[in-house]
Amino acid sequence: MTENSTDSANPFAYSDLVKEHFLNPKNFLMGDESKFAYDAKGIVGNPICGDQMLMFLKIKDDKIEDVKWKTYGCASAIASTSALSELAKGKTLDDALAISADDIAEYLGGLPKHKFHCSVLGHDALRAAIQSYRKKS
Amino acid sequence: MIYLDHSATSPLLPEVKSAMIDAMNMELGNTSSLHSTGTRARDLLESARKKVACLINADPSEIIFTSGGSESNNTVMHIFAGQPIAVSAIEHPSVLEPALEYASRLTKIPVDENGRIKTELFPTESRLVSVMLANNELGTLEPIATDDKYKFHTDATQALGKIPIDVKALGVDYLTASAHKIGGPVGVGLLYVKKGAPFRPLILGGAQEHHRRAGTTPLVNILGFAAAAEYAEKHKTWELYEKNIRPLKNALAKRILKEIPHSSLNSPLENSLPNILNVSFAAAEGESIQLYLDTMGGIEVSTGSACASSDAKPSHVLMATKNDVEVAHSSIRFSFGLDAKEDDIDKIMKILPNIIKRLQGISTIKIKE
Repeated sequence: MTENSTDSANPFAYSDLVKEHFLNPKNFLMGDESKFAYDAKGIVGNPICGDQMLMFLKIKDDKIEDVKWKTYGCASAIASTSALSELAKGKTLDDALAISADDIAEYLGGLPKHKFHCSVLGHDALRAAIQSYRKKS
Repeated sequence: MIYLDHSATSPLLPEVKSAMIDAMNMELGNTSSLHSTGTRARDLLESARKKVACLINADPSEIIFTSGGSESNNTVMHIFAGQPIAVSAIEHPSVLEPALEYASRLTKIPVDENGRIKTELFPTESRLVSVMLANNELGTLEPIATDDKYKFHTDATQALGKIPIDVKALGVDYLTASAHKIGGPVGVGLLYVKKGAPFRPLILGGAQEHHRRAGTTPLVNILGFAAAAEYAEKHKTWELYEKNIRPLKNALAKRILKEIPHSSLNSPLENSLPNILNVSFAAAEGESIQLYLDTMGGIEVSTGSACASSDAKPSHVLMATKNDVEVAHSSIRFSFGLDAKEDDIDKIMKILPNIIKRLQGISTIKIKE
């Protein structure tokens, strides 16, 4: 906050696409995770640091049929998880594993530098989900 | 737009703006010059000094104009370089950082969960104790406990204009205040130094301010500050805040607690400034709340979340009071100006419950019942 340690980073440094995914996120899972019959789940981050993401995958024939996610974090964390869910949907597991932080940032038309490392974590959750699925099957 | 971030900075008062424009239209000289133009500038400076002195019941000779609250705070810590200093754990960084830099030993005095300092823990061996009059994030009013054993400084940046301030009644040796929190311009503040209190200038190289602060006098800014001080004095703004704004703060607090599940107050409602309300919402992150309020409702607030701070750390004030990172990350501060209306509360409560519901709904954090 302000005038003080709260001197906030300018939120308008976000691109229009980040704002759009923040205001109207895609594929999020509202409420309890039992509402989505997923085949694999992956988690990344830590609420102590301010950001945490959960990815849920529905997988059929080695392909991601559907994706849902949950996020605790700032606007760019929400937007980048939403973007990742769009990127991952319909991809084969191998292709999904190749999605990088840069791919997410590029999809969103860029992210503020200081936001990059803390908020673009979702692909790690996605990888964790795929790896746990492969271990199971 | 509903601007509820007056503790960050307040809009220029029309009276201030016109005083500053008038000053810019005058042929103002250098207050140090001996010619007539310089003399006129000096007269204006001294009349401004009287006005700001009057607002805190100081003698004009006890007022030093500075570039703002941060410089005033730095100046006081610098006077006590090489000596033991004690400060409250929730001071502004412009007290905390120079205190750490200059003190031979720095003691941070702990606070309770409302942010109130524990006066029984004052280290009496300190040469200087610095405790803010009101906290900028919570609005908590602090007890001022002066003693012959140490000099006392208070940062009154947030308190000025919101509560009556009388330096003689407070008995402090030093007091910091800033113009832009009371409708004056950014870039000017004051340091009150009680007659006879130790002093050592921070900025050397000129005779301005009776050799206490070098640098050509920024007269336009100072005249703006004086106009803001005059406005506060004339309208007794602290009475207006108490009468018109505290009921709004209390109403918002009550409605948030009642209408938003898992919300909690960080600000005390008693012994607090009339215009600051700090609240937290479990499992929702502050920067997201702030940005939703801004983009969906044009409601501008601030947050203690690490995600919104330049150093990626959660608010040190909320960590000192609540000692819970999640509470700090999920905090929102509303700080009202005198123009706030009941309708603003309705507008906030029209969108805030849904914002929190969504953020809690998609959050990875399971709320403890």
